[in-house]
This record gives sequence, C-alpha cells and structure tokens, in this order.
Amino acid sequence: MIASVAFRNFKALRSARLALQPFNLVIGPNGSGKSSLIQALLRLRTLARMPLRDLRREQDRLHDAAEVTFRFEPPHDGLEAVLGCASESVCDLLQIVPLPTGEGADDWEGLRKKILGLRAYLLDHTAIARPLYPVSSDELAPDGGNLGARLAALRDRAPEAFAGLRAEVLRLFPEYSELMLRPEKGSFALRIADPSENALLEPEDLSQGTLYTLALLALAHDPEPPAIVCVEEIDRGIHPRLLREVRDILYRLSYPADRGLDRPPTQVIATTHSPLLLDLFRDHPEEVVIAEKTGRAATFTRLSERTDLGELLAEGGSLGDLWYSGVLGGVPEEQP
Amino acid sequence: MKRALPPDPHHPARPPRIALLGESIVDETATAILAEAVLGGPFERVQPNLRARGWPSVLQILPAIARHLHFHTDADGLIVLVDADDSEPHTAAHEAPGYFHPRCRLCQLRATFRRATKTLPPARGRERVLRAVGLAVPAAEAWYLCGLDETVGEAGWIEARAEGRVPYTRRELKLRVYGTERPTLPLALERATAAARRHARDLRRLENDFPGFAAMADELRSWPRALALRSPRESASG
Repeated sequence: MIASVAFRNFKALRSARLALQPFNLVIGPNGSGKSSLIQALLRLRTLARMPLRDLRREQDRLHDAAEVTFRFEPPHDGLEAVLGCASESVCDLLQIVPLPTGEGADDWEGLRKKILGLRAYLLDHTAIARPLYPVSSDELAPDGGNLGARLAALRDRAPEAFAGLRAEVLRLFPEYSELMLRPEKGSFALRIADPSENALLEPEDLSQGTLYTLALLALAHDPEPPAIVCVEEIDRGIHPRLLREVRDILYRLSYPADRGLDRPPTQVIATTHSPLLLDLFRDHPEEVVIAEKTGRAATFTRLSERTDLGELLAEGGSLGDLWYSGVLGGVPEEQP
Repeated sequence: MKRALPPDPHHPARPPRIALLGESIVDETATAILAEAVLGGPFERVQPNLRARGWPSVLQILPAIARHLHFHTDADGLIVLVDADDSEPHTAAHEAPGYFHPRCRLCQLRATFRRATKTLPPARGRERVLRAVGLAVPAAEAWYLCGLDETVGEAGWIEARAEGRVPYTRRELKLRVYGTERPTLPLALERATAAARRHARDLRRLENDFPGFAAMADELRSWPRALALRSPRESASG
C-alpha cells in the first residue's frame, strides 16, 4: 500500500527513492540504508498516532533538513505523507499533503489506520524461548517474545488458521509430530516424532531457525495480518534448503489470493545478506531492491532496472553469485 | 504406453540403485517417476538428500558428487536434471560422436561427469557409476505442460528463439502449470507428480516434443544392458 518512499538527507540516504512492491527483498552492505528504510516507516507509524501539524509553508521548510516523503497506492494515492526532521535522525513532524490527482485526498483517517497497522520484526530466539507472562496475545511482539501466547490465541480465536499453521509446522519439520501449546505458561513445545523418545522439546531446546520459522508462520497464518510487515534478516538461522519455504511463508502474506485467501495483501519489506536466498528471486527481479553505498551516501535500485540481467544470468552465474561478485552492486566498499 | 524393457536373464534381480540430482525436490520427484517408467520398474533411491542450487552450481558440484557416489555408495547410476533457461537446447546434432556444444548444459554435464569419473579406479565391486542427464527446455514446467498445451515444446521454443522471440517465460510456464507464479512447495509437488504420472503411462509424446528428456531416456535405457554386462562379482556386490 506504500507506493514509494523518497529520502533527503535521512542518515545515509542523502538522495534516494524507492518504489515499493507487494513483496520487497532488500539486499546490500551494512550501513547502506536497509534498516534506515524500516526506521523511517516506523517513524511514520509513530507520528501517525499523533495529531497532525498544520501544513507548513514551503518557504518555512528547512531545505537541507532531513525529509522523508511517502506516497501510497490507491485508494490513497491522492495523499502524500512528509516526515520533517530537525536533524539527520530526529524526525518529529508529519505533514499530510493532498495531491492534485489521485483518490482519497480527504481520507487521512483511512490511510492512518493502515499506517498504524505497520509492524517491524527483528526476531530474537532468546526472547521467544523466555516468554514474559502475563503477555499480550493480540499480535506478535516485534521480537517474537510472545509467540507461545500468540499461537494459543490463534488456536482459540481462529482454529482453522491455526490448523493450517500446525500442518505447515509438521510438514516443514517432520522430526516433530505435534505442536503443543501451553497457554498457562505462555509457551509451547514440539513433540519429537520418534515414538521411542516420546519427548517434548521446549522453546529453549529448539534451534533458532525453528523458532524464527514458527514466528513467521504465526504471522503468515494470522487471518488479519498487519497491513505492512518489515522483517530484518529473514534468512537468520535458517538452513539454506529451508529458505524457499521462508520465502513462501512471506509470499502468503503478500499474495493471499494465490493461496485462496480472501483478505487484503500485506506489504512485506524484508532484508537479507544471503546470496542463497537471493538465488530464489531469479524469476522475480522486480521484488529485489539493491541498497548501494558510496562513501556515506546510500541509494536504492530495483534489480529489474538492470536491463542486462538476463544476459548476465545467461553467462552462467546464479543471481547470488552475481551479487557477491559485485556486478550488481550492493557490496561493501573495500580499500585497495 | 510404457516401453518396458524385456526381462534380462543376466540382469541382477535387485532393482537398480540410483541417485538423483536436480535443482529442487519437485523436479527430482517428477524425474524419479519418469525414470521408473523408462526403466520399466521401480528403482532404489540412493542418497536421497542430494541437491544442487541451480545452474551453475550443479555443474560445479557434479564432479564431487560423482566421486562420492563412486567410492562411498552402492549407486549403479546417477540421473541429473537441469533447466536450460536461456541456454542452448540439446539437439540430435549434439549426439554425434565427439561433439560437444559449449553452451548446451546437457553436453557440459556429460563432459564434466566423464572427466570426473574416467580416471577413478573400480570401487565397491563396479567399474563406474552410470549416468543419465536430462535437460528441461526452458524449465521442467514445460514437461508438465506437454500434451496439454500445444504451444509448449522444444521445437517451437528453438524456432521462436531463432526469430528473436520469447514464446513463453519461466514465469508464464509456472502460471500455466500451478495457476500462480509463486507456487508453494506442496502445490508444486502435487502438480509435478500428477504430470509425471500422466507421462509415465505413455512417454512417446514427451520424448518427441522434448529431446532433452529423450536424451535422458535413451541413456537410462542403456543401463540394464550395462548392468547385465557387469561381472557376477559386481552384480552380487549389492
């Protein structure tokens, strides 16, 4: 639902613009603006909770101050949201500007509701394994720390969705025969499939990748997922052969109609440093964003803008190999 | 109609032991069904967790896999299946003795396998691991559409490419087979398995329309004879 984000003097994003798709995989070196993109989105959500400031006159704008401008998909393409910043990183002014064309110029409330549905996740296996109690189960916490409670809430409030999630867990991890919920503890466990063991593995005994996958499944099987989901390092802890499954879990959010789901798509913005994950996007270069850093300045480019991509791939390299080699950009600068 | 091979009195009674190397579990599952149809019976899968990460990873890893299978398993043969993508399709001209097309992935894989195995000493009671290579043009989804979509076939692909056209993309093939460009693994497995079972009843159309499959089938058909020619000690080793 966010059509584009334009940055001016925002951290490393001195002059950068990014058109967003339903699914976006952002790759690039450290400090190239991947996390800054997500921070700007979170700032937009924070300020959207507050009363709007009056429209500032053009001559009052600080022309070298940081600014982030958001445009939206229909039915809100008639509005522009501008984050004004007092410094490179302190942005405390949100202006909503009606545009000369487009729909929804008078529907800030409708747009605001969607922006408030934005969620960002940096999953933490230690938080997942050490559930806080009592804990809210209305939505998955940013670090996944309430996963056990969230799973129990899904089971109670949306049993069909939970059944789908459970089936996915057991398909992806055939070494387990059951997903056991323990709402009284805000926790869960997986039963080992081998009947001779008849053992339950608690979250602290499960691998990071298993916990992260469970958290992503809880998000993807939520019947009412957030409007926008940002997930950092989606490959973290995941075996390379499971990366396709992780991609498909997130595709369930972005392309619900493909799964026969009657709900609006969730816009996904994910980051990775994995060439192996990137290999899975060969047929969908429009979903890949390359963050490029030159000196202190960072920019974004869609992989599909690379018109010779087909020829490069025909030469024999995989997409991940091409990225690693540097021919696609998005690699760290090195001193000779 | 299956082209089952007649029983060979010299052939070992046990089913052949075969390893499969593909770019995904979907392609491997379909290839296993097709290979059984070609061989006229079931085979025993060796090292079922082999996998390549797509081209060119499969070419890079093939020598190590061939060596591993030769020394550390009882595999009789290895089947390799890759997508052609935009590379040169394998044609009858490539089958000429000594011919090698540098941009044909099937020719490249055969040559790589040959180089990797020709100096290996006999091991585990056999001289060598047999080989069959298939090339799906441009992707395995084209095989799954064979017989259902008249516009899909290697001849039409080659003709269109010669005219500078792209008759269909990999994404379009996926959409036609799965109803979405982004199929889940279970959906992809279901459709690929159904298509392979359909072809297994009569392989002639797939062999006719897709020489990249026919090349693999021809190599597979030569295996029973090669296995039968192995010494009694080799046959008994399993």
